[in-house]
Amino acid sequence: MTFVFVNGRLCGKTDDGEKLCSQIVSDRRKGMLSSNLNVRYRKDADGVFINTDGGRLVRALIVVKNGKPLVTSDDINLLEANHLSWDDLVAAGKIEYLDADEEEDAYVALNESELTNEHTHLEISPLSVFGTQAALLPFINHSNAHRNVTAVKSVQQGVGNYSTNYLIRMDNDSMVAIDQQMPIVKTKMYENESFKTHVFGQNVVVAVVSYLGYNMDDAIIINKSSVDRGLFRAMFFRPYKVEETKYIGGQSDVVTIPDKDVIGYRSEDAYKFLDEDGIAFPSAHVESGDVLIGKVSPPRFVSSIDKFRLGVQKQVESSIECRTGENGIVENVYVTSTADGNKYVSLKVRQERRVEIGDKFGSRSGQKGVVGMLFDEADMPFTYSGIIPDLIFSPYSLPTRMSMAYLLELLSGKVGALGGRYVDGTPFTGEKEEDIRRELGSYGFRESGVETMYNGITGEEMKIRIFIGDMTYIRLKHFVANKIQWRARGPIQLLTRQPTEGKSKSGGLRLGEMEKDCFVAYGAAMSLKERFDSDKIPVPVCSKCGMTAVYNFRKRTGYCAIDGEDAPIKLIEVSASFKILLDELKSVGIYPRIILGKKV
Amino acid sequence: MEIPEKYVKAFREKHGENAEISTLKQIYERSLITPGEDVGVIAAQSIGEASTQLTLRTKHAAGLTVINTTAGLPRLVEIFDAKKEISTPAMDIYLKPEYDRSRQKVTDIANRLIEIKAKDLISSYNLSLRKKEINFLIDRDTLKAYGLTMRDLSSKFSKLKVSVKVEADTIIVTDKTADNVKKLIKLRNKLNDLSISGVPNISRAVINEDREGSLWIKTSGTNLTEVLKMDEVDQSRTVSNDIIEVSKIFGIEAARNLIVEEVYNTLQNVGLTVDLRHIFLIADAMCIDGTVKGIGRYGLSGETESVFARAAFEIPLKHLVEASLYHETDEFKYVANNVMSNQVIPIGTGSVELVVKGRGSESKNEDAGENKE
Repeated sequence: MTFVFVNGRLCGKTDDGEKLCSQIVSDRRKGMLSSNLNVRYRKDADGVFINTDGGRLVRALIVVKNGKPLVTSDDINLLEANHLSWDDLVAAGKIEYLDADEEEDAYVALNESELTNEHTHLEISPLSVFGTQAALLPFINHSNAHRNVTAVKSVQQGVGNYSTNYLIRMDNDSMVAIDQQMPIVKTKMYENESFKTHVFGQNVVVAVVSYLGYNMDDAIIINKSSVDRGLFRAMFFRPYKVEETKYIGGQSDVVTIPDKDVIGYRSEDAYKFLDEDGIAFPSAHVESGDVLIGKVSPPRFVSSIDKFRLGVQKQVESSIECRTGENGIVENVYVTSTADGNKYVSLKVRQERRVEIGDKFGSRSGQKGVVGMLFDEADMPFTYSGIIPDLIFSPYSLPTRMSMAYLLELLSGKVGALGGRYVDGTPFTGEKEEDIRRELGSYGFRESGVETMYNGITGEEMKIRIFIGDMTYIRLKHFVANKIQWRARGPIQLLTRQPTEGKSKSGGLRLGEMEKDCFVAYGAAMSLKERFDSDKIPVPVCSKCGMTAVYNFRKRTGYCAIDGEDAPIKLIEVSASFKILLDELKSVGIYPRIILGKKV
Repeated sequence: MEIPEKYVKAFREKHGENAEISTLKQIYERSLITPGEDVGVIAAQSIGEASTQLTLRTKHAAGLTVINTTAGLPRLVEIFDAKKEISTPAMDIYLKPEYDRSRQKVTDIANRLIEIKAKDLISSYNLSLRKKEINFLIDRDTLKAYGLTMRDLSSKFSKLKVSVKVEADTIIVTDKTADNVKKLIKLRNKLNDLSISGVPNISRAVINEDREGSLWIKTSGTNLTEVLKMDEVDQSRTVSNDIIEVSKIFGIEAARNLIVEEVYNTLQNVGLTVDLRHIFLIADAMCIDGTVKGIGRYGLSGETESVFARAAFEIPLKHLVEASLYHETDEFKYVANNVMSNQVIPIGTGSVELVVKGRGSESKNEDAGENKE
């Protein structure tokens, strides 16, 4: 007796589970049942499990009978001639979708050549064992699996053409490369129509050499002259959004050029880009601090005096300004309304992102690094034929990671560039290394891909031949310009008087606990004290009762809450945070009495 | 500066009677620590940095005839916390010269060490509530392998104030007071855990051979008290890796040495070298008052004199409330409290003070040494 479960629910029983199972499968192939229905007979649980619910991951596979795939070369010819569609093949039971459950009992061949009588299915292409992302990486069957995972992560961060309508979109963190190229070394996945409009990366000449130490530890050197010609240039869009919020009492925010009597009015210069509607006009070159959307809000608290004043209440300035450290061009302005009927203004500032030292780049084989130096064309190494690399990659990044896909792509890219064609780097089925080498030889180059190179600064011939070729590099979304931050003096927190935290608040760089330990271990007591002086304050202390006293610094007089006017008050210098600690102790009923030493 | 006599003697022995003593003086002064150097933080950083490179979990050697001991970071933490019960206690038992050459003799000793419990010999049992008795079926072969007899077993059983009868392969235990099953089960568990022979706590013993060919025994589980009583054991070399046990039996100096040795070996085994003197300092600090104290909330850090230093470390509320109850004074002598209140720390350049003799007027010094009660 075998139980039958549909979507995990017990529905009935049968005498022969295996027979039922094969019956359902053959009915499905005949088209009598939905192609999305999957069934499996589990011997250990003695049950037939039928799955029809949504959310299952399914895979399309070619059905195999007696070691022969049901999709024949005739079918493929018809497909190519557009006489047959995918759905026809599914309907004919030649291709079927298996879910994770049914796949357990399937025996799937990767290639047609390895088919035996025991196989039940055949992969449509060996490439289909990868996901869409991994299938974009060339030669990954030659690389370490871990590198391939890293490569997928890198490619995901690539700056390319993420959307064809990016100009009218208002995304946060939107970055677009100005020039994208189809990789020379492609996989079958690039044939897909949508990849042709969403290309990322550029084909650059890469030399694998250690040059002057600027490309140590995964750093790369980029040819500054190539950058001047527009290599890897990108745009960064910063959206600003404002809503005219309505408040209780009929008042609301107003998007306008603020009047001069508004509380918190900036200089006239700050509003220079605003049009009559209070919004900066498109194509305005704005700098940080310039107002992009002028806005005034009603005062937050209505004071008692205001009631007797004539006329309108004073409004508060609440304009949106260009972020600190950023500048750019106003790309477009949208004025619309929200679901509540409030006026909604959004505006986008375009910024140009040239390649600079510290920007991150990656290849499609998990080799990523930051720019260590930008060299003028004249200072870059060159080959006998005068080829100057766009990018210099360190050879020390290769032995431990064993990402052979990098080397193969470099070699294939060279062949593709010389032959004026794309190279097929599809994993498992792509072009063979020997063929690529032979073709390279036929163009008059060394089959190994190495060339004699000369030091760009001294002109001397390099003692070893350098591996040089063409490959695709991708600019990754981590731009230095978006991350750089420094401060000497700046805003502090109100309560603790310590510097604020974070880039957006132009915060300080914290000297943490472990860094403190280093100062202590070094014995640098005075430097340590100075480092923590950021929140030092003079605290008046009554030396009689040991409590903080009240002190007028201008009149140089003070009094103690306990001992009165004549109390002996001394000034000590402590951190504001320590004073807060003492105050908090007092608030919970602990009397922190300060006993002053002789020196004060 | 006075140079200790032993160094002078060693120097003369090495370089001859007429060697220049000023050279020794130079070397001696160079190796002294500068006044005000924070040796504690340097020691902590030296060990702390190295231990970040240790992998958290170490590989187990299952199925090998090797006693598996905790290694790597877990062991290091165990030592510095002065854990009462360590995860893999082990002993290195060295034997007197007349025993340690013959494998036969050593095997005999090792077999006597292993603790055999009654349950190792019992193959099955059944309870009878009516007769108020338990029948244990004994495995004769195991019994023979351990060199025991039925009489040994029954005499051990009878110590539990129950009547014991031997019938062929079965031992019948009758307890007249047992009036319910619960009591019988309790008795059965008690009998099962009864130690029949060997040294309590020692579960395994493996014989090792050193380079000179003499044999020694490594055990898992420690019991120094019992093992040291054995005639064959060389008391001067036998050690356990249980620091607390060693401190109880051999004293605090032995425990200090064991801490140093264990920390050094643990780091050495993973290929890290830390200067011995850093470990000396920490071991000394752990043993300073005669008992082994861990580093942490219930050890050194929890017993600091300074209220604020303790509060800054862990459970501030408890320490602050206690300080107010017991009228404690913080003299601001430590690093933590001075950093907290932004004062100069009494370490390094902060440990010295400049005294300026003013002409007539008193010298002004802004440095405030304030205390808290």
